[in-house]
Amino acid sequence: MSKDGGATPPPYVVDLSVAVAVARFDASIMSLMQGYDARGQSLVVPVLTLTGASLDVRTDDADDLLEGLERLGNAEVAPVRDAEQATRLAEVIARTGLDPWDAHVAAVADAAVCPILTLDAAKWQEHARDLDEPLHFIQITDPDEAPGGPGAEQTDPDEAPGGPGAEQTDPDEAPGGPGAEQ
Amino acid sequence: MSDRKARLTITVDPRLSAYAEQLVAEGRAPSVSAVFNDAMEARIQRERRQRRLWNEAAERADPGKVARMMAHVDAQAAALLRGE
Repeated sequence: MSKDGGATPPPYVVDLSVAVAVARFDASIMSLMQGYDARGQSLVVPVLTLTGASLDVRTDDADDLLEGLERLGNAEVAPVRDAEQATRLAEVIARTGLDPWDAHVAAVADAAVCPILTLDAAKWQEHARDLDEPLHFIQITDPDEAPGGPGAEQTDPDEAPGGPGAEQTDPDEAPGGPGAEQ
Repeated sequence: MSDRKARLTITVDPRLSAYAEQLVAEGRAPSVSAVFNDAMEARIQRERRQRRLWNEAAERADPGKVARMMAHVDAQAAALLRGE
């Protein structure tokens, strides 16, 4: 329980779309990450997510920005630590058909029972039930920039936690990158 | 902070030690200590650059937009915690 008596939020697992936004110097996403870090929200960054984001952008600045993500005080990079984790990752890839970086996110979220923080909810909605336990995800979006403008979202965000049935991603805001929805 | 050099005892990988000694032998560095000094200085500069880039992003961001996104994320997280 947190100090105010509320339930302590679990760590958020950062997915490729968020890492690519950081690598592309998306000021809003980077500021959001810093905001969560400042208030003590734990962030888990699967290491293959950094690989995918670095592949997507391929500049020294991007790599510096990704290293900076790792250096946030409450961020932790999740490695592929040993043979057991490596073979578990292979199993997730085989079951879901996801790219390795996305599968690593799914494997970490599944093992730690943590929600995935994403700009690309559609991808996770598609794979939410591929594993034994449903994957939960949280979409980063500015409600005022939802299609049709403020208040035009089809789903009340308070009623739409990630997971099966969560709101759709605005394809115009889906970041590119390995495995990104176009 | 004093400018006097601090004496440290460190343990390094054999290949790094060998490379440092090679640089000295080739006249590309005055000493093994200087090689590791330079490496630490380079790391400091890289981390400063990373912090500067992140700080620049924070200055460029629209605080209102970031606050709305955070509130939206928080609402979804709260709903997850409630099991909705």
